[in-house]
Amino acid sequence: MSNVKQREPPKFPCEIDTELDRISSLPGHVLDQILSLLPIRDAVRTSALSRKWRYKWSQIPHLVFDTQCISTNSQDQTVVKNKLVNIIDHVLLLHNGPIYKFKLSHRDLLGLSDIDRWILHLSRRSTKEFVLEIWKGQRYKLPSCLFSFENLIHLELFNCLLKPPLAFKGFRNLKSLDLQHVTLAQEVFENLISSCALLERLTLMNFDGFTHLHINAPNLQFFDVGGVFDDVSFENTFLLTLVSIGLYVRVKNDQIVSHGSSSRLVRFFVNLPHIRRLEIQSYFLKYLAIGKVPSKFPKPCIDLNYLSIRINFNDFEENSAALCLLRSCPNLQEIEMLARPEEQASVGPVTDFWKDDHWKCLFGQLRLVKIVGISGIRSELDCIKFLLSNSPVLETMTVKPASNEGGWELVKELLRFRRASIQAEVIYLEP
Amino acid sequence: MSEVDMAVIKPEMMKSYIWIQTTDGAIQQVEQEVAMFCPMICQEVIQKGMGSSKNYAISLPQRVSPAMFSLILDYCRFHQVPGRSNKERKSFDEKFVRMDTKRLCELTSAADSLQLKPLVDLTSRALARIIEGKTPEEIREIFHLPDDLTEEEKLEPLKNTTDDPRIRLLNRLYAKKRKELKEREKLKNVEAEEDLVDDRSVDDLLSFINGGDGDSKGIRTSKNKKKHRKRKDQQKCATSNEAIEMHKKESNAVSSLCHNAEVDHELQSSLSETLRLQDAAEIFAPTVEFDEVDNDDEIDPALKEEIDREVEDFARILNSDWPERMQELLSLGQERRRTHLSVNGNGTLKRYGNANAGSIDGNKKDCIVIDVNSHRSMFDVNQREGMTFEQMLSCSMQLVFGLPRVQFQLAKYMIPQTRLCSA
Repeated sequence: MSNVKQREPPKFPCEIDTELDRISSLPGHVLDQILSLLPIRDAVRTSALSRKWRYKWSQIPHLVFDTQCISTNSQDQTVVKNKLVNIIDHVLLLHNGPIYKFKLSHRDLLGLSDIDRWILHLSRRSTKEFVLEIWKGQRYKLPSCLFSFENLIHLELFNCLLKPPLAFKGFRNLKSLDLQHVTLAQEVFENLISSCALLERLTLMNFDGFTHLHINAPNLQFFDVGGVFDDVSFENTFLLTLVSIGLYVRVKNDQIVSHGSSSRLVRFFVNLPHIRRLEIQSYFLKYLAIGKVPSKFPKPCIDLNYLSIRINFNDFEENSAALCLLRSCPNLQEIEMLARPEEQASVGPVTDFWKDDHWKCLFGQLRLVKIVGISGIRSELDCIKFLLSNSPVLETMTVKPASNEGGWELVKELLRFRRASIQAEVIYLEP
Repeated sequence: MSEVDMAVIKPEMMKSYIWIQTTDGAIQQVEQEVAMFCPMICQEVIQKGMGSSKNYAISLPQRVSPAMFSLILDYCRFHQVPGRSNKERKSFDEKFVRMDTKRLCELTSAADSLQLKPLVDLTSRALARIIEGKTPEEIREIFHLPDDLTEEEKLEPLKNTTDDPRIRLLNRLYAKKRKELKEREKLKNVEAEEDLVDDRSVDDLLSFINGGDGDSKGIRTSKNKKKHRKRKDQQKCATSNEAIEMHKKESNAVSSLCHNAEVDHELQSSLSETLRLQDAAEIFAPTVEFDEVDNDDEIDPALKEEIDREVEDFARILNSDWPERMQELLSLGQERRRTHLSVNGNGTLKRYGNANAGSIDGNKKDCIVIDVNSHRSMFDVNQREGMTFEQMLSCSMQLVFGLPRVQFQLAKYMIPQTRLCSA
């Protein structure tokens, strides 16, 4: 090997096309884009390509550290964790320029003081998107420097504890917030929502520390919540169009008696005038059914075109709530009803409920209906009959029972039902 | 013209064309809907009114060659049709980017200069797919990149290949390799390049950025280059003077924060980290980080060692349990004590010997001088509590030595004496 310290002479002059290095001369933002599309490992490796490429990787604005970024055969958690910490320290230290997106989601990540240090570093780098997923261990308490991320637009946290400093005034630019398995106090939650004025998307899953969901967010468009809460109410949410709510715990029976005349169902929809898609999951319909349920809303929900309900067909309140809801949404295009067959009858037998002909309602735009998990009881069949006879433009209805038992009887009944739509196809799916 | 003629001509005339001049000088007509798909052409037409006739043809940017332009037109022609499904578009895109890398790069460049973002995204993804998972040699082969990194630079660790979290081991290995290379080089070169420093230590390996131009800062072994160090020390002295000024203003406000347990903990942990780092450096340098002396001639080794000891004592004192310490202080007032201690391999402090090993001689030795400039970054974590390192250290010293106020000098060992100043 000769002249170790000298460079190898460049290969050929530029005239010969086949030898020309074209990629290095692409504009900076294009190279940033290409490097951002690579996993972090490959991106950093490009520093060994040539002199020009030495520091190109250090400008990439997205840093994603996930389980794939370490290649090791070691099963020892500490070794993997140390390697991860080492890599992230090196990358952050050598990185140059703003870091717009930072994602950290590694199976073996545990070192809490390390994460504190990295978040502090990011607070100086105009981070716009921050995703942190702690797979194991108890809730990670976020350092206060996280709350000083001025440019934050998207925040996604998994298994964290939020306790902002008293001086925290919200994330001025935050548009998307995704909190799963988090703990925060009631005031902290309300303060957070109301102080992030630009918030457009909110996702909450499996939270604790607060039980009242009072959503005051003028720009909110998407709201997805699943967890245990006492009540949910909206204020000033005129742009909210997609809502998905799941209440994972059954509403206690004593609450049913104690509540007064006003219907929760009606109150829920009062502040959602432009809602377009609604998913009612788990036990939320039971929650909504509390209070005196009218036969239909005073003002119909004209914008709602997709409705998905998890319903217990044995429960009188839930049935009446569902019927009320269906009557109040004339422009539905797609309905999905998921039955909870394991429930026992709660309040008396439900008979002749859906057969009530006094209220004729027409689903003028209903095209698709999905019924899942039924077992052939009376109220379920009546519901199907109700839908079939009130949807003149129906195209497809799919029925999927919970089990094969009584399937034959079910099919016989289905065959009899009158259909308002000539083109309607009723498809029986195997359970 | 007769009506029949008009009827024949009309269908062609219904479609409007834009005049475009390619880089080879040729002027051609392109259907308007197709050309307007490119934002840059769209801009030219709308804002500047170009392209309506042959004389006012839009000239394409330099990076768009005629061949690339026709490819781009194919892309636009397909995608500007509104009725296509996502699936169709996707499969067209996949087929479209199947070309050799040379053309792919050219296409990316051309699409970028025409501001056609969807096509730039598509080609970037294709290029990323090519690069992903390949070794540097393979990538160089594909894109014809010059292999112009020196062997030195290639040897520097890429973070992803370090399996061993202990930096020390890495340092040893690289030092060995460097020695080998140096020897090989010496056999060929007559001139010994003394000024180009090859001894790299922990700081150099970590501060990757300085590599390549031969300049190295930070820890040096004591065997080399007295001249260099002298210059360096003078530089650092200037900065430390500024630090003293800053500190003087802040030291008063700090005492109330001293009782914060968190501060103690951080201070302890950060100090132990410091010592750990020193430990790493010790592998090469017989002298510790704290001990960068100005001139080898002025300080004799015995005094050097004593200074080392004092620094370690100070660290030990800070690391000791606070309740214990408070008891000591309260019972003894202003009397200062020290114990000998050792630093373990993993940086923890161990106390041994008796507690009354000696006291600071108030007359001759006044100041414990500690250079912390190199370790500022490690104490950044403390900044969120609103204290600088000097503040913390000074308030700790106040407690330790029971002084009303401590003036903290951040300086190198300029004077072969220790001095503890009180205001």
